Amino acid sequence: MRKHLATLALVGLLLSGCAGSAAEPDADAGAPVQGGSLTWAVETEPITFNPHQYAQAKARLLVWNSFEALLTHDDKGGYLPWLAKSWDVSADGLTYTFKLREGVTFHDGEKFDAAAVKANLDQLLVSGYAPGVASTQLKNYQDAKVVDAGTIEVHLKKPDVLILDFFASPQGAQVSPKSLKSPDLKAGGPDVVGTGPFILDRYTKGQEVHYKKNPAYQWAPENAGHQGPAYLDEITYRFLKESSVRIGALTSGQVDVVEGVPATEQELVKGDPNLTFSKQLNSGTAYSYYFNQTRAPFDDLRVRKAFRDAVDVDALLQGVYRGTATRAWSIVSPSSQFYDATLEKTYGNNPANANKLLDEAGWATKDAEGFRTKDGKRLTARIFLSAPFVRDKRDILAQAVQAAVKQSAGIDLQVKVVDQGTATDALNKGDFEVFDNSRADTDAGAALTLILPKGAPINRHGFTSPEIDEQVAQAQATQDTAKRKELYLKLQQTVVADNATLLPLYAPQDQIAAQKKVGGLKFEPTAGVPGSAYNVWIGK
Amino acid sequence: MLAAILKRLGSGAVVLWAAASAAYLALRLAPGDTIDTLVGDGPDTPVIRAQIAKDLGLDRPAVVQYADYLWRLLHGDFGRSYVLQRPVIDIIGSQIWPTVKLTLVASAFSVVIAVGLAVLTAGRARWLRGLVSGVELTVVSAPGFLIGILLLSVFSFRLGWFPVSGDRDVSALVLPALALALPIGGVLSQVIREGLERALDEPFAVTARSRGLTRLALVWRHALRHALLPAVTLAGTLIGFMLSAAVIVERVFGRPGLGEVATEAVSSKDIPVVLAVVMLAAAIYVALSLLADLAYLLIDPRLRKG
Repeated sequence: MRKHLATLALVGLLLSGCAGSAAEPDADAGAPVQGGSLTWAVETEPITFNPHQYAQAKARLLVWNSFEALLTHDDKGGYLPWLAKSWDVSADGLTYTFKLREGVTFHDGEKFDAAAVKANLDQLLVSGYAPGVASTQLKNYQDAKVVDAGTIEVHLKKPDVLILDFFASPQGAQVSPKSLKSPDLKAGGPDVVGTGPFILDRYTKGQEVHYKKNPAYQWAPENAGHQGPAYLDEITYRFLKESSVRIGALTSGQVDVVEGVPATEQELVKGDPNLTFSKQLNSGTAYSYYFNQTRAPFDDLRVRKAFRDAVDVDALLQGVYRGTATRAWSIVSPSSQFYDATLEKTYGNNPANANKLLDEAGWATKDAEGFRTKDGKRLTARIFLSAPFVRDKRDILAQAVQAAVKQSAGIDLQVKVVDQGTATDALNKGDFEVFDNSRADTDAGAALTLILPKGAPINRHGFTSPEIDEQVAQAQATQDTAKRKELYLKLQQTVVADNATLLPLYAPQDQIAAQKKVGGLKFEPTAGVPGSAYNVWIGK
Repeated sequence: MLAAILKRLGSGAVVLWAAASAAYLALRLAPGDTIDTLVGDGPDTPVIRAQIAKDLGLDRPAVVQYADYLWRLLHGDFGRSYVLQRPVIDIIGSQIWPTVKLTLVASAFSVVIAVGLAVLTAGRARWLRGLVSGVELTVVSAPGFLIGILLLSVFSFRLGWFPVSGDRDVSALVLPALALALPIGGVLSQVIREGLERALDEPFAVTARSRGLTRLALVWRHALRHALLPAVTLAGTLIGFMLSAAVIVERVFGRPGLGEVATEAVSSKDIPVVLAVVMLAAAIYVALSLLADLAYLLIDPRLRKG
C-alpha cells in the first residue's frame, strides 16, 4: 500500500516538472539573517516532551531546542562544555566534578546551579519516573554533592566512562526544578521547561509543536555555529507521517525543511533546483541480522558463515535503496570512532563457499522446491519484523535477502511481518532464527554493552564468552579512549569475523531536505541526527 | 411512550457496556503489551519492565484490572494514558473537536454530492447514469489514502489552492473533508438514485405529472422523500465508517484528531485511551440510531401514527 502511495506522489510531483539539481545547503542562503519564522515537517511525533523520558531517536532534533545538557559531543568522539564550563575526573574514576556555567536561567526564571543539577539527578532516581535511565545510564551512579552553587560532584559506585555520555544525552538534560513538580512532568510540554535557545509555547497533538526564540539565551556550546540568541523568531514543527506528503509539502513550498527523505524520493529532491539535500550516518550500531545460535540451524558456525556468503549485500542495497544506503561491515556503525574498517570485504558474496559450507554442515540434500534439507528437515530460518517499526523499507530488504539466500544457497528464509505484540512474543520466547536490530546510541560502546555481554537485554543471539564480558566491562571502565578503541576492535573481530554472530547490512542515516533560502541546517556531531534549530536562518 | 424511551436508554447502556468489555477483552487477548512502547528505543531489562508494570498496575490480575476499570468508568473517570502520561479525558477533549468538525463538513459534502448527483441523473439517459454510476463506484472502491494523496497532489502540491496540513482554517478543511465525503457520497448517491427511480415508477408519480408538475418538482417534492428512507438507515452506518476512515485521512493530511489517537493507542496497547475511544464511538452509534429513528418520522408521515 505504501508503495502505491509513494509512486502516486512521485507521479504527481513529476507533473510539476523539475530540472537542474539540488545544491549543498547554505550555498544560496547567504549570510545569517536575524528573525523570521520557519516550518519544519518531521516524521515522528514525540510521545513525550520531557527529555528525561526520551526514547525515540527520531525525536532528538526537538529536544535540544528547549533543553540543554552539561556536556555536548564534538565530532571526534569527545565532549565539549555546555552548561558545565569544565569537568574533572578523579584518578580512581569514581568522582566527576563539574564546574557550572554562571548566569544561566531556565525559561521560567529559575536559576541554573548545582542544586538544580542535583534535583534533576534525584528526580531521575525517583522510583517509576525513568526506570530505563536509572537502571542503565545511571547504573553505576552513587550520589551527587553540591559543593557550591557553581560546582557539583558526582560519585560513582564503580568507574564508568559512559557517565559522560549520559551528561551529554537527552536523558541527562536539565529541567527546571520548578517544572519537576509539574503534574504534567512525564508528558512534558509548555509547563516543563529547560534552558535552551527556544521556548516551547504551543503543542497541538497530532499536528504541530511551536517554539519561540529565547531572547535571554547566551550560553551556546562552542560548536553550535554562533553565539547569543537563535536567529529564528519562531519555528513550527509539523508532524507529517507520510513521506510523500512531507515531500509534496516541501516541493510546493508549504514547508521550509523536511526531515526523513526515503530513497524513492531522494532523486526527486536532489533534482529540484529550489531545494537542498543532505544526509548523515547515525551513530551506534549498523542495521544487522543477528543469528540465534541457541538453536538449529545457526548453532553451527558453518551455517552462519554460509548465510553471509550467500548474500551480495551491495547488490541488494543497490536494488532496494537505489544507491543511497551505506554498506555496513561491522556491528558498529562506520561513522563511529570505534569502527573496525579491517572487516571490510572479508566475507560475503561467495555462493560457492556458502554451498561448500552447507554441504559440510550436513545440509547436503535438496527438496523439490530447491531448499536444502538435513534428515528430512528443511533449512529454514524465520525473521520477525514488527510492522509498526518497519522503516527504511526493511521489509523489502528482507524479501531481497530471502530471494538471495534461496537462489544462491537453498536457504529458506521466512520473512514474517507481524504486529508488535507477536514480534515481541517471538523474541521473548526465543522462537526465531534471525532477529534484526540497529541502535542509535551516541557512544557505540553503550550499544555493545546492551548487545554483547551474557544476559544483556539485546543478547538474543545467544553468543556469550567470559572474554567478551570482560572486554565490555573494561572498555566501560577505562578513561583512555585509545584503550577503549583497542578493546572494541578486539570485540568486533571476535563477534563479526570469528563467531559470525551477525550479518551487518547498512548504516542507518538521516536526511534533511530544505528550500534553498534556509541556511545553517546541521547534523548533530557524533549522533548523526538532524540538529536543533538554533543555528538555522532564513536567507533573503 | 416513557417505557419505550427507558427501554431505548437501557439497551443503549448495554451496548456501551458490551463495547467496553469487548474492547477490553480484545486488547487483553492480543499479543504484546504496553511496556514495549514505553521502553521504546531505550534500554530494556526485566527490572525496567517489572517497574513499569508495577507503576501502571499491570501486575494485578486481569479480572481486578477489568473490575477496577468498569468501576472508575461508572464514576466518569477514564484514567490516565499509559503512554502519553496525561488524563485520557484531556487527550480526547483536545482531539475530539477537529474530528467532529471534519466529519460534520464531510457529512454535509456527502449529502450534497449524493442528493445532487441522484436528482440530476435519476431516470435520465442510460449513458449518463452509467457514466456517473461508474465514477461513483470507482471512488467508493478506491482506498481512502489514495483519494487523499490524489487530492493533495492536484489541489495542494500542484495548484496550491489548499494547504497540505493541520487544523488551521476553513481552507485546510476542504481537502480532507472531500477525501472523506467522496466515497460516502458515492454510496449514498447509488442508494438514493435507485429509490428515486423506484418512486418515479409508482402510480402517484404519473398522477402528479398529469397534474402538470414539472419533473424536477416531482423528484424534489415527492420522490426524494421515498428515496431518503433507505439512505437515512444507511447514513448511521456510514457515519460510523467515516470515523474509521478519518484515521487514514487524518494521517495523510497531518491533522489532529481521534483517528490518529486511536490507532496509536491500539498499536501501543494504551488501554485507557483505546477504551475511551471505543466508548465514545459506541455512544455516537447509539445516539445516531436514535436520531435515525426520529428522522424516519420526519421524512415519512405514514410512520407517525404508530
